[in-house]
Order: sequence, then C-alpha cells, then structure tokens
Amino acid sequence: MLLKMNQIKVQYGKTTALNIVNPIEICEGDRIGVIGSNGAGKTTLVKSILGIVPYTGSIESKITPQEMAVHMQFNEYSNSMAVKHIMEAILQTKIKGNPKLQELIEFFEFEECLSKKFAKLSGGQKQRFTIILVMMQDASFTFYDEVTSGLDFETRQKLVERLVTWYQDKQTGLCIVSHYYEELEQLTNKLLILDQGKVIDFGLKDELFHKYCGRAVLILTNSPENQKLLNGYEFLASPQHLLAIECESTEKEQEIASLLIHHNINFKRSNNDIELMYMNAKAMAGGYDHEEK
Amino acid sequence: MKKNKISIQMIQYELRNVAGNPFVHIFGVGFPILLSIIISQSVSASISDSTYLREVVTTIFLGIGSIIPMATILMGYSSTCSMDIEKDIPLRMRLFGFSEKYTIINRLLAEFVYMTFAFVIYFAVGILALKLEKPTVGGLMLYLVCLYVFAGIMFMLAHGIANLVKKFGLTYLITMLLYFGMMILSGMMGITVDQLPKGVKVVSNLLPSTYFNKDFYTVWVGKSYNYGPMIQSYIFMMAIAGILLFIMTYRSKRNLH
Repeated sequence: MLLKMNQIKVQYGKTTALNIVNPIEICEGDRIGVIGSNGAGKTTLVKSILGIVPYTGSIESKITPQEMAVHMQFNEYSNSMAVKHIMEAILQTKIKGNPKLQELIEFFEFEECLSKKFAKLSGGQKQRFTIILVMMQDASFTFYDEVTSGLDFETRQKLVERLVTWYQDKQTGLCIVSHYYEELEQLTNKLLILDQGKVIDFGLKDELFHKYCGRAVLILTNSPENQKLLNGYEFLASPQHLLAIECESTEKEQEIASLLIHHNINFKRSNNDIELMYMNAKAMAGGYDHEEK
Repeated sequence: MKKNKISIQMIQYELRNVAGNPFVHIFGVGFPILLSIIISQSVSASISDSTYLREVVTTIFLGIGSIIPMATILMGYSSTCSMDIEKDIPLRMRLFGFSEKYTIINRLLAEFVYMTFAFVIYFAVGILALKLEKPTVGGLMLYLVCLYVFAGIMFMLAHGIANLVKKFGLTYLITMLLYFGMMILSGMMGITVDQLPKGVKVVSNLLPSTYFNKDFYTVWVGKSYNYGPMIQSYIFMMAIAGILLFIMTYRSKRNLH
C-alpha cells in the first residue's frame, strides 16, 4: 500500500468539499483516474493528499507530500527571466550537463521555448514546461490535475500521446484528474468516481464498467426510429444524443447487432467506455455515497 | 523531492527576479544617485567654507544612502513577493519541494547581493562626483553594518506586508506610503527632523533612517556619539517587523494543514 485515506473531510466554510467515508487504498504503481463533474471534490482530494488544505481524518502514506510530484490545474512562474533559468533553479541542475533533462526537453519538443519568458509561452507550451519539471522529479507518485484543460484538440491529443509513451514502461504511480474520458482510458487502470464531494465508487476500470454497464454495450444515435426499433430493450443512462444498450451475453449482443445491421444502422461496441460507466454509476448512486446505500 | 538548502542556483534565480523589476533599478539605484547629486550641488552654491561643505555633502550622501534598502527591498521585494503570491508561485515552489524557510533565506541573500551592487554604484558615483569626507575604518564599518541591519528589517517588513495583504496593488500602496513617509520623517524631503512638530518628531526618532540622515556623519568621521537613541530605533523597527511576521506565520498556519 502506498497511501490510505481514512474518513477525509474537507470543509470550505459551511460547504463540505470532500467527504470520504470508507477507507481508500492506493497501491504502488496504481494509475488512478479521478472523475466527477465540476465541484465534485477532485482538486480538493489532490490538495488534501498534498497537505495544502486543512482536513479531518487521516492520510497514511509511505511517502511524504514533498516526495510526490504534482502538476496543478494552474501553474504560474516568474516572468522576470527565461524559462530555462526557472527550470535549472527548480531542478537544481544545468540543462547542458543533464542528459535526462535534455531527453525530456527533446521528447516534449521544448528546445525553442527555453529562451522565452513564461508569459510568452502558449497554453500547450506552458503545460509541457510543468510536465517536464514534474517528470524530472522522478517521484513514485505523480498527480496531473486537468493537465490538458484549455488546450485545443490537436495539442491535447499530442500531449496525452507523449504522456502515454513516457509512462508506458515505468512503474510510476499516477493520479490523473480529467474531464476527458479518452485520456483516462489511455492513462489509467483504476477510477475514483466523485460526486458532490462524495465517493460513488473506486476500483479497477474494467470491474467498474462490468458493475455499471455489464459485459459490453452497443451505442447508437438517439432517434425516434432507433428508439422504436429497439423498443423492448432496456437502455442504460447515456448522453442525450446517444442510446446505449447493455449486452449481458454474447447471444443478446449478436441479436441486437444483427438487428442493427439488418436495418443498416451504425453502432459502436464498447466494453470500457468510461463516460457511460460514469453516467450509470452516478445514476445508480442517485446522489448518495455508495458506502451509504 | 526536498530541496532544503541555500544554493547558488536559487540565489541566482531570486537575483534574476529582483533584477526583472525595473522599478528597483529606477528607485533603488538611479533615484538615490540623482538625489544626492542634485541636493549636494544645490547646497554647494550657498556654502563657501569647503570644510563645512564637505561635511554637509557627506551628511546628504550618507542619509540618501538609506533610500537604497527602502527602495530595493521594502518596495521592490514586497511588490515582487505580492505578485508571486497572487499567482500562487510560492505554493508551486513548495510543491516542487522548496521549503518556505530556505526560500526566504535565498531571497534575503539575493536582495543583499543586489543591494550591495546598488551601493557599489552609489559609492563609485559619490566618490567621483561629490567631495566626500574620508571615513574612519570604524565609521565605514558601522555605516555598512547599520545599512545591512536596516535592510534586514526592511525585508521583514516587506515579507510580512506582502504575505498579509496578498494583493500586489494594496501591498504597493502600503510600501509606497511607508517609503515616502519614512523619507519625509527622516528629513530627506526638504524639512529637517528639527523642523517637524513635536509629536511627529517622536515618531521620526523611532526610525533608523533618521539617524542615517541626521547623525551618521559624526559616526563616519569617528567622533564620539551617543548610540542609545539609534539602537532604540532599530529595536523598535525590528519589533514592529517581528510582530508583523508573527501575525503572518500565525495566519498561514491556521490556513494550512
């Protein structure tokens, strides 16, 4: 076990921002995705583990918060100097004499940004700058809090690809807070679902999908024709423009797929769709903590 | 990754932060040089006795020298520090493993390095452009010790104000008022301390900058001097700065886990 949270409660005035009732254990090498809508308590959770917000309860950990690395949602630096000086000061090294740092700079294509001031960097470059600093810390547990928020689609895709490549053969534990489910699909193996400061569920991604969506789901466009065609089947909670049907067996899946193919209707099959899993977990929780149900 | 140390790299980083603030160069280097030259030249026209003129010019030069720590540290550091706080940079640095204690020490050292640089220029211009009285070794040493102690107090005040106020605009306003307030009360803005009303004079005598301006010539040339009131002023200012830092620490401890 790397970290254990017991009955963590964070209050901002009269508002309870986070209330973890049952213990949550994070093991070494876990890659946890934290999901939940705005105000769910995701950043508060990260801040409590790092000890930068007051909380009640206890967090037992093999490592101190100083030994964890973190990419916060907002990262600002001095604008008095070029970022290479900030980089060298924070990392207590020289770029020229540090092959690992050179590799990271090259990996993130940051060479041309080194002589710029932080304010002159683009959104993506700013994120890459902090990521390089965070990765250089070589911590056994690293947080990425909405690392791609505010970036355009292409920059986001590129950044996530690089993160996936960098971490694929490493044992680093990760905690990734994100609203982008495809990022979590690529980077995590466990999910912590939060809603209004409470834990809906925590566990392996696949197990959670199975628990809330079944073996597999078929997803198609939500239209009156499709609804009529699939009348009699039970739909899962899904985004308004989509219909999602749970397939608890291969036979049922084949039956529905045949029907859709016969009517020339496009559909998608998934056994790991995080968005659907999240929506159904939230719907089943009905606003209550899973531990309290 | 804990980085609990005083390092050259961090001092260089802090020094770049100091040098990146243009007002520090204007108010901390340019303004004292200009002021000492202008005032010295204006008084030299009305004084014919060269010995007395040398005394007056040296008094002006030593007094105006105390503007350097007020400008570079009280105003300069407090504005940089408050801007950093507004952007959550201290938290970001803490998350990179830099303890607050060592960050403060690195900053203080960087401020002292910059202030030394400002003094070297100030003295170089002073020696070249003004007819200054040669100091005794003890007088020079005492002047430097007093300046660095005064600079340390200015640092405590600046750090305390910036961390309590947390907003650049308000911090700048407060330190600007203190800066000009201290200059006026120390007799650097045309009215001597003796010309001030009795009640104001009491406050004036509690400021170390008053003694730089009023009395330091006596110390500089090695004449006998009653250090009591001057030492009291340092103790008073240090106590104020200490209280400010205590309140700041208490408040931040309450806010953080």
